[in-house]
Amino acid sequence: MHGVGGQVIWVDLTKGQVEKRPLEEEIVRDYLLGVGYLSRVLTDEIGAERDPFSPGNVLGIATGLLTGSMFPQSSRFTIAALSPLTDIWGESHAAGFWGPELKLAGYDAVFFRGASASPVYLHIEDSEVNLHDAEQVWGMGVFQTDDILRKRHGRMTRVLSIGQAGENLVRFAAIMNDRDRASARSGLGAVMGAKKLKAVSVRGHGKITVAHPEVYLTEMDEFYRRMLANPFTPGRAKYGTTHLIELMQHIGRLPSYNMRQGVFEGYDRIGGDAINECYLVKPRADWSCLQRCGRFTAVRTGPYAYQGGSPEFESQSSLGSRCGNANLESILYAHHLSNMYGLDTISLGGTISWAMEAWEQGLITSEDTGGIDLTWGNHESIVKLTRMIALREGFGDLLAEGSARAAVRIGRGSDRFVMAVKKQEMAGQEPRAQKSMGLAAATAARGADHLYGFPVLDEVGFDDDIRERFGEKYLPEMADRLNPKYKGIMVKECEDFMVMIESVGLCKYGTQIPPEFYYDDVAKALRLHNGLEVTPAQIQLIGERIVNLNRLFNARRGITRRDDSLPRRLTDEPAPNGPSAGQTVELEQMLDEYYACRGWDLVSGLPLKSTLERLGLSKDALN
Amino acid sequence: MTELSHVLGDPEVCTGCMICVNVCSMFYFKVIGPEWARARVIRLENGLDFPLFCRNCEDAPCMAACPVGAITRTSKGILVVNNRKCDSCGACVTACPYDAIHLTPDTRKAVKCIQCGECVKRCPVHAIFLTSAADLSKRDPEGRLMRLHDRHSAELYDGGERL
Repeated sequence: MHGVGGQVIWVDLTKGQVEKRPLEEEIVRDYLLGVGYLSRVLTDEIGAERDPFSPGNVLGIATGLLTGSMFPQSSRFTIAALSPLTDIWGESHAAGFWGPELKLAGYDAVFFRGASASPVYLHIEDSEVNLHDAEQVWGMGVFQTDDILRKRHGRMTRVLSIGQAGENLVRFAAIMNDRDRASARSGLGAVMGAKKLKAVSVRGHGKITVAHPEVYLTEMDEFYRRMLANPFTPGRAKYGTTHLIELMQHIGRLPSYNMRQGVFEGYDRIGGDAINECYLVKPRADWSCLQRCGRFTAVRTGPYAYQGGSPEFESQSSLGSRCGNANLESILYAHHLSNMYGLDTISLGGTISWAMEAWEQGLITSEDTGGIDLTWGNHESIVKLTRMIALREGFGDLLAEGSARAAVRIGRGSDRFVMAVKKQEMAGQEPRAQKSMGLAAATAARGADHLYGFPVLDEVGFDDDIRERFGEKYLPEMADRLNPKYKGIMVKECEDFMVMIESVGLCKYGTQIPPEFYYDDVAKALRLHNGLEVTPAQIQLIGERIVNLNRLFNARRGITRRDDSLPRRLTDEPAPNGPSAGQTVELEQMLDEYYACRGWDLVSGLPLKSTLERLGLSKDALN
Repeated sequence: MTELSHVLGDPEVCTGCMICVNVCSMFYFKVIGPEWARARVIRLENGLDFPLFCRNCEDAPCMAACPVGAITRTSKGILVVNNRKCDSCGACVTACPYDAIHLTPDTRKAVKCIQCGECVKRCPVHAIFLTSAADLSKRDPEGRLMRLHDRHSAELYDGGERL
């Protein structure tokens, strides 16, 4: 097969052994690569009784079939393991250059089992794959680790590592690569920490061959032309996702004050225009990226001075409006610290905002916090807690457990204010203002998640794309973000598409928003690049197979319909103000439609036998 | 004499996407592989991304260093390598002050940018362009671009060792 390294690395950290295996093409045929490949391998490897922090947990990192190709936005890779935050299927994804570099070194995936007695890192340089002592970098932040490993192995080495948060088993620790790209959700940085695995550095001097070199460049020219001509591209280039603050305020979907409401009075002080005006240095891109939503920013003076990768919408809303914080420099700086310590900013802001609301209600006091004031918008406390969480100091040690576990420890009814699904903090979509996002958060395999399904077609009127992808009969209801009707059908379709996209290593930008490239384009790219002869219908089925397999992974750990829930606030309390005032999320109605459309049992929420047979998953059925 | 031209990039505009590098290796070698490309991109920690190409120097140290006369200047003023004559000794690689010529991993022949423009026309942000001394003085009268390159030379060029 073209476009792949053809080899997979298995590292047993307990024994200190490195093994290379050929890539199993029969798995690729049924699951592609990326998240599909990891879903298959890890479902087989990780037993239902395992603990996320035990040596029995297996951490896998896999590139997609198009990772390192010239298709627009083809830099991405997936990391998966049993999540220490949710205790179920954990996955996260990032862009950058690490994934393409792994391909150039000749590999498609790396797996880690066991745990090392002392800190180690894996260095991959073409055929040389070795574990090295990591004592020198243990205890260091991500940037310093990157500096030291690139000094040691060469400037063009691409480094993936954890910071102090992962080492300290913070349950929402991120894994970082290329300094500021984050595989943040699911707390997989803590899995690396538990394994005493500090980093994976890669240098590849090889080449990626393609199946149809004679037409490759001219075909890619056409994909580039379409991407650049898309009406969304200029805005993306100008703002990245930072301008979503203004857009979401406009539709009442900007989580504010711990998701109590969907509008924030200080929105214009933390939005895209505010960042561009004073702090943007320039847009930056990852491998083959034409959307360039990455930003490089700097705060030049004052207590929050830094330069580096910039927050996007999720960090802005999480550390900003969600905490009632309109101090932009503090948001930029807390985000920078999160990159350095290796923290998921969504769970960070979600956990701090839970504590702030509990503080307001008198459920957490300065006795609990060690004197830290948790009044809404106290940016000094937010910055201070970011460090304390990463280092597990004082009150930070409690918050490092995530909001769901912290609320259990605090008690006093503070769990009412936990805005999480399956123990993972919700991302920056106030679902009372966009019902599909509420359903997607409830059904996603890794717990609350906007990206597993990423149903954005009802966000700002992609009526034509809905017509094209679903058919005329679903309009206008499906395009109406406040109407629960047809959202089960939409979320199902979006989940299948998005896991397929994560399996080929493409970005959700360019495929889902803007919805420029669809199944037919991906099938064409797989033929041109990999020589894979697949139809759009076949890769759609693969997407559906992956979602069902993820469901089965979670079902083995006891997940049923009961867990596909949202915080009561969102289903029972009408949005108090803003453009979506009076709205609640009609979750049960949407879930019924979703399960029916999936071929899942309406009561248990588990795949029906006939569904598993259709998808070739019968042997994975639960007893 | 024809005015010497070369490709130059703006590190304050370049996003670091590597498309120029991949276009190059695909156009000439039908593979994706930075080690096969005639261009390089180096991202620095201060937010600058440098797309780097042959400067087509007037004194051409690569040409002077080649012991077998494999490097010549065309009538259009472009330095080119004659593959048949190149004996892979690497003297040009050591001689180039900008790490702009190297031996490809498989053929071991010296390759360098020949200003074909394939990457220039595909750069999504128009960060790279074909220029000459006269053109550059009009385009960038303050000398910002060369100053940026000069200021970071220690991080961009490493005496023939590809970074």
